[in-house]
Amino acid sequence: MSVVPQTNSSGGSGGSGNLYDVLELILDRGLVIDAFVRVSLVGIEILKIDVRVVVASVDTYLKFAEACNRLDLESGRKAPSQLTDIVGEATESGAKGKSKGALTGAVEAFSDSLQGKREEREEEPAEREPKKASSSASGNRRTPRRRED
Amino acid sequence: MSTYIYAITPAGHPTALDGLAGVGDPPGELRVLRTEALGAVVSEAPEDLRAKRRDLVAHQSVLERLMRDGAVLPMRFGIVGPSDRHVLDSLEEHRDAYVERLKEVDGCLEFNLKVSRDENDLLREVVSESEEIRRLNAVTRQNPAAHAEKVALGELVSREVRVREESAAAEVVKQLAPTARRHSLAEPTTKHFLNVSFLVGRAEAASFSQAVDEEAQRRGEAYTLSLNGPLPPYSFV
Repeated sequence: MSVVPQTNSSGGSGGSGNLYDVLELILDRGLVIDAFVRVSLVGIEILKIDVRVVVASVDTYLKFAEACNRLDLESGRKAPSQLTDIVGEATESGAKGKSKGALTGAVEAFSDSLQGKREEREEEPAEREPKKASSSASGNRRTPRRRED
Repeated sequence: MSTYIYAITPAGHPTALDGLAGVGDPPGELRVLRTEALGAVVSEAPEDLRAKRRDLVAHQSVLERLMRDGAVLPMRFGIVGPSDRHVLDSLEEHRDAYVERLKEVDGCLEFNLKVSRDENDLLREVVSESEEIRRLNAVTRQNPAAHAEKVALGELVSREVRVREESAAAEVVKQLAPTARRHSLAEPTTKHFLNVSFLVGRAEAASFSQAVDEEAQRRGEAYTLSLNGPLPPYSFV
């Protein structure tokens, strides 16, 4: 239930299986009882999302610099005169002529699940496709320069 | 035999768990331990329980089912008590706190939102807005061996990136917070500059998702908003 991904930019919708996307909630949030123990998470923890660690190091700086060097400064920009439009208007920068953001996740599912159609949504989690919900959003890149070294 | 705990519920929760199985291999049978005010959904925890993917799925599935039917305090994955008796004692010992927290999350769902921005889009903005960054970028492009300039460029850029991401994160939260009861910030990930959970009333779930949708459109294509929910209120217990 409740994990049907939806992408409003493409209208496409794939399989679900968002366990990965909520893994850190299951593993790191939730109630604990102090006196009780926790089962070994060996093997599970490596599935977790990488928490961003901002390291102010020369190495990080060099990665930023190289990313800038590689940058195609002209793409995504109509003309130099529009530079000032980009300034102070973060919401639209680089998106002239395209106004839609990409929204992925389970937004369709809950209006149904909250209106008494829950049973229909019920699936065996084992049948979930191990597909990443957000993979349908194009350009959802990994950013090597931000990774911890 | 120790006792694996999935969730704490109010005594009146239907705890309809038919068709679901617990953690372990073979899967443990789900049971409900009850005190006057509370219930705890548990199963036997084999002594050598080692968490696997299917165990996470089992845990999450139990919680999703419980969430559907009423208020629930989701346990963090993997919590094991020495025995049923210890679990019951704990329910008694912390009764008032649990009852209070159950009231807080009653009728509410968690939605987790992660937001990322296209890296090149962000860098183009940063470069376009600083003359010094543009100059250093040109210098280091022409002369890749200019180490000091590269470091200086990277330092300036990384600072700008951080400022912009922090400000965008704050804006998104500010935009969405009014449609939720509470929110809880989590660590950003390598990919997402914002990782935040919202506690949303069931009745407000549709308007909340609408607000997220509008924010996604307002932000434009360079941003990706990944919304997951409804979830048990992991971040609000």
